[in-house]
Amino acid sequence: MNRRDDNTLTEERQLLDLLKDYPMPQATTGFYDEALVRAAEEGRRRQKRRWVLTGFGSAVAAGLAIVMVALTLVNTPDLPTVDDSIPGVTIALAEPRTVNLVFSSTEALDTATLTVSLPAGIELEGFPGQSEISWETSLAEGRNLLPLKLIAVAPTGGELLARLVHDDRDRTFRLRVDVG
Amino acid sequence: MQDDSQVFERIVRPHFDRLYRLSWRLAGARAEADDLFQEVLIKAFGKLDQLLRIEEPGSWLSRMMYNLFVDRHRRFARQRLVMVEEGQLSGEGVQGFAGDDNPERDSQRIEQIEALDRALSQLSEEHRIVVLLHDTDGYKLQEIQELIGIPVGTVKSRLHRARARLRQLLTDSGTFSR
Repeated sequence: MNRRDDNTLTEERQLLDLLKDYPMPQATTGFYDEALVRAAEEGRRRQKRRWVLTGFGSAVAAGLAIVMVALTLVNTPDLPTVDDSIPGVTIALAEPRTVNLVFSSTEALDTATLTVSLPAGIELEGFPGQSEISWETSLAEGRNLLPLKLIAVAPTGGELLARLVHDDRDRTFRLRVDVG
Repeated sequence: MQDDSQVFERIVRPHFDRLYRLSWRLAGARAEADDLFQEVLIKAFGKLDQLLRIEEPGSWLSRMMYNLFVDRHRRFARQRLVMVEEGQLSGEGVQGFAGDDNPERDSQRIEQIEALDRALSQLSEEHRIVVLLHDTDGYKLQEIQELIGIPVGTVKSRLHRARARLRQLLTDSGTFSR
């Protein structure tokens, strides 16, 4: 066995020891209990919603409805800007609806952070109970589409904010969401 | 007589710690891990009838979690959006983890763990997940195969490449000296 093999074996052993010591994440106190309560509540609510939608026979149609909201302004060299008037969309209670946000940018932007803040009673499909979701994203020059599948879980509605941050600059887009 | 939530808890609670660790390994950050764990429980509650008939609820829940993770990932990949990468330990650091069985770990060891953490963050997702599940969490190759749905040979190959890359990164950073 040559020196190189020895080195490799030594490093392999060191690595396995290190990996065994790599910390095991644990949930915060009370998280499991809260998660169980929420699972039962949310699980029952979704079951009920499925029954209602099945009764009306309209689940598929509702799920495919698309609203296009263009947030298009290009008068700054940096970030996309927003129109003065706030666009709006009306969605039905418990019926998923896709809202496409269109960002137009005058230049390609890398590593921009997009944060969507939802009004009370409005959820993003796949993110139950979360009122704010963030992604790191890049924008191409021109039109960029962001489909958001919204679900109204309460008849309240409000203002959805999509905040785009790039370096030290940021821009917030607003969308009025009514539940009808 | 137990209501459905009590029955559900009796079946799923024994698997919580393992399931929570899996959500961390997949998601890579606490907020996303908590969310993934929660979503699995909600989905599983809706399938309680099915859950009652399953022989290995732990494996079933793990597969549901992995599929949900992949589904989310693909959905956002199609949108050209990537979940914010917090890094493995970012924001909380090594000290942020509970469960350390050696509280008197010396500073050199902590530095090594932090270097490992940085190296792990440079691996591809598929390599990072396989090496952590196998070498840290003790999953067998067969379990990883069933979870991810790839042949054992591919699991072995990913494991081998992940370890080789980690060795290289840790040597380059001076953590392993030659």
